Amino acid sequence: MKLEDIRVAILQMEGTNCEDESYLAFERLGARPEKVHIKQMLGLVEGEERSPFDYQILMFPGGFSAGDYIRAGAIFAAIMKSRLMDELREYVNEGYPILGVCNGFQILVELGMLPATDGISSAPQAALTTNDSNRFECRNIYIKHEKSSNSAFTSGYGKDEVLLMPVAHAEGKFTLDAHKEKEMLKKLNDNDQMAFRYVNPEEPEKDDVPYPWNPNGSVENIAGITNPDGNVLGMMPHPERAFYNYMVNLQEPENFGPGAGIFRSVLDYVSRKF
Amino acid sequence: MERYLKKDAPFELYEVVLEGAKDNELKSISDEMGLALSVEEMKKVRDYFEKLGRNPTDAELQAIGQAWSEHSCYKSSKALLKEFIFSLKNEDFIANEDAGLMSFDDEYAYAVAIESHNHPSAIEPHGGAATGVGGILRDIACMGAQPVVLVDPIFFGELDTDYEKIPRGVKHPRYLFAGVVAGIRDYGNRMGIPTVNGITYFYRGYTGNPLVNVGCVGIVRKDRILHSRVGQAGDIFVLAGGRTGRDGIHGVTFASLTLHEESEEESRGAVQLGDPITEEPLFHACFEANEMGLVEGMKDLGGGGLSSCVGEMALAAGLGAEVELDDVPLKEEDMAPWEIWISESQERMMLAVRPGNVDRVLKIFEKWDVLANPIGKAVKGSQIKVKYGGEVVIDLDLNFYTAGPIYRRKYTKPRRKMEEFTPPEPENYEEVFLKILSHPDVASKEWVIRQYDHQVRGSTVLTPMQGVVGHESHGDAAIIKPRENSWSGLAISTGIAPRISEIDPYWGAWNAVDEAYRALISVGAGLHSLSDCLNFGNPENPHRFWEFRESVRALGEAGKALGVPYASGNVSFYNESPAGAIPPTPTVMGVGIAEDVRKAITSAFRRENNPIYIIGQTGAEMGGSIYYELSGGKSAAVPKVNVETLKENGDSLLRAMEKDMVMSAHDIGEGGIAVALAEMCFGGKIGADIDIGKIGRMRADIKIFSESPSRWIVEVDRKREEEFRSIVKGAVRIGRVGGKHIGISDFERLLFDVSMERAYSVWKEAIWKIMG
Repeated sequence: MKLEDIRVAILQMEGTNCEDESYLAFERLGARPEKVHIKQMLGLVEGEERSPFDYQILMFPGGFSAGDYIRAGAIFAAIMKSRLMDELREYVNEGYPILGVCNGFQILVELGMLPATDGISSAPQAALTTNDSNRFECRNIYIKHEKSSNSAFTSGYGKDEVLLMPVAHAEGKFTLDAHKEKEMLKKLNDNDQMAFRYVNPEEPEKDDVPYPWNPNGSVENIAGITNPDGNVLGMMPHPERAFYNYMVNLQEPENFGPGAGIFRSVLDYVSRKF
Repeated sequence: MERYLKKDAPFELYEVVLEGAKDNELKSISDEMGLALSVEEMKKVRDYFEKLGRNPTDAELQAIGQAWSEHSCYKSSKALLKEFIFSLKNEDFIANEDAGLMSFDDEYAYAVAIESHNHPSAIEPHGGAATGVGGILRDIACMGAQPVVLVDPIFFGELDTDYEKIPRGVKHPRYLFAGVVAGIRDYGNRMGIPTVNGITYFYRGYTGNPLVNVGCVGIVRKDRILHSRVGQAGDIFVLAGGRTGRDGIHGVTFASLTLHEESEEESRGAVQLGDPITEEPLFHACFEANEMGLVEGMKDLGGGGLSSCVGEMALAAGLGAEVELDDVPLKEEDMAPWEIWISESQERMMLAVRPGNVDRVLKIFEKWDVLANPIGKAVKGSQIKVKYGGEVVIDLDLNFYTAGPIYRRKYTKPRRKMEEFTPPEPENYEEVFLKILSHPDVASKEWVIRQYDHQVRGSTVLTPMQGVVGHESHGDAAIIKPRENSWSGLAISTGIAPRISEIDPYWGAWNAVDEAYRALISVGAGLHSLSDCLNFGNPENPHRFWEFRESVRALGEAGKALGVPYASGNVSFYNESPAGAIPPTPTVMGVGIAEDVRKAITSAFRRENNPIYIIGQTGAEMGGSIYYELSGGKSAAVPKVNVETLKENGDSLLRAMEKDMVMSAHDIGEGGIAVALAEMCFGGKIGADIDIGKIGRMRADIKIFSESPSRWIVEVDRKREEEFRSIVKGAVRIGRVGGKHIGISDFERLLFDVSMERAYSVWKEAIWKIMG
């Protein structure tokens, strides 16, 4: 389908706060984003009812949905799960892409849509827990693109490409159940689900990535993962805050920045597939 | 005789018998009701009601107490502000209401405001700071402007103060610092507004009374600007946002008294409770209603609650108002009408809406799950009438109610003899240099800065930490690109100089403006407007008021000389505790316009072998310097600003930046040349060698640690040196970028040569070591 016909829902509720820059990321590339309140998706706003299938891409942007006072993303996920899970399952199975950034990643994990090593899980298989530093931290870090196959969200990046990107979170430590950690990591690697890992820019080939390069203590330096089919991506770093170079450094400021590839890749994927 | 007569109503309502009350009785009524009005003021109130031929209700007295508090009516400061500040306007100045409005470009304006939240933060640092952020955001939003940045200058006692030296009833600076930073973080980050600039200052003068100043800038399309007033008679007051409760009762009167041992016990209820997840959707709904053209005017509820808000919105339009308190959603039952009327519960906004648009407005708020209720209307005349349960509880003429007294306070210059002591020249320069780098006012603020989200909204071009990723250093100002389709940017800086103000408040204020100005130049932006947050002691004390007057006089002169208005301001008096008054602290916020954000300059050295220049005169004016504080020096000779030189150097530096000759720039502040040079090395992850022989005939320690204002260190593209020198006339070449050491010599005498990485870790770790 044509780029200008691709509709993107930027989902929000109270406390979502990265919707404007996420909206702009898609708009700048010529797609048709719309900020959609979760109540519209649930059919609770008269005359403004929306369905996931009105859109070719769903995005859960960053923020502190409902304040994140219990567990990050838990309330947003609970609302989605109670009313929209069947549609979301069908949406993903049909190959439509879903992106979750920061709080959005936390929501996708809470929903069981990630890692989803064996399909969408009814209970979360992983968690994004409190950073090792035990505090909110905002900084630029480097991530490495790990996917070996062509994927919906990362086709624009080369294998092992290193990208500068901002992180800003208190709960971003990707954690697996200790009893299943080995098995899960093997699946994630075997399924080519590892999308991005934090790296030390001076030694990008090394697995040992000290703080602050691994800003939160994530296992295997995981910064972002996809589902096995690659059409659901969750990541802690903020690609929409690195859309143009001027947002992360002042070299060639007006050119596409390291984060633009996510949005360009997924629009390319949708325009070819549908 | 009984002075409080309970009225026959199913709720708490009293008639207060002022008739015939003597001075001491008036005083005790003011005290008992927590009005904080003086006897003279109480007499004025008594006479007014005598003329009306009736006694006031408790609600009426409370309303007057709020309206006439220092916090609400600026009774001590207004005369001086009028004399020195308010007259400064230029063609870009649009308005000064809840926030100041300045023209940004043809289509857009920016809104700017800065406020203090000092006393609440002294009692409850997390809540005090958080609600400070919430309040300043509402001040911007109620102008119709989308907030785009927050700044937070905060001041505490020394972090290593002995517990025995902390006065009773006062909390330790470490506890206050951690709590305030967490409060700013938890509110600002949740609201999704980047915190990009600020100051942390640790000085013994703030041990008993910390300061929390919060500033905000927003952007608004000019045709969507909202004013803090109703449109016309018949407009409906729609109260939106959080419920009204007993939190924040008497907040403004609390802010207008000095802190004392029992403040915690007495005034805990005056500290408001904050909830960003109520405010965030509140803003969405307000902006949506405004975008649809459904709002005539908007004002946030802050100090004085409904009382101030409704009164001021009506008065500003030359109208009166009628309000039904029954329609105000409450947090708890059984609140007395006076409590509802003056509660400062957070996250509330008042919209003035034409009757025909009310339903559409309410529908928008419903979508966002935000409470919104019509509670009254604007009426002709100047009377404000408030009803509760069918009873009229307030019936006052706004012209009386809001016309607080104006005082011309006495001021006298304190007679102080300043001891003079010049410390001996250090034998070990390296040791002194490292000690200065680890001083909490100089050391890396990473511990604070990284807890704030400075990139949310995706419009931050320069963050507060600049340079090589993972090795960043302090920048001078932040830059935001507020519009999608324009390369123009807003640059934000702050300036203060309390150690100087304590010795000489006039020059302290000048230095604060100088810092805000030169920090903007450093990033390539010219100063466009100033805002001031004036933190002082008790204005009824003539010495304190002299400090205030001297500061305001200097701010006025500085604004005039620089050709910019004060777009917005705030006064906070009574910053005193049993430990004494704070040093005079005018916090200055500068907003600059960067013509093209792609040309922004950072503080980090960029390239090996580029020459280093210094701009501006270094003088032996060490009073109030960090070096003297650490070496035991004493001097009344404080840095003085020559505004003509400041402007000339600033303008020429900007020209050189526009022509891409300047690779990096940093203003020289606390710790002098040595610290500025070191910070540029840290951010660049590279060393530098300089020789300060040529900058003047002074002792070497004075030269490298002097805090003379109006100075910058710049790295120049080595291929463009000659051109640079022809533009920036007074620039002196002092060295070059390169190597792995920071070396400073004076006429070839090596003062120190320290490994850059070693100095970096001393600087970087100092605050982490204290705070963990």
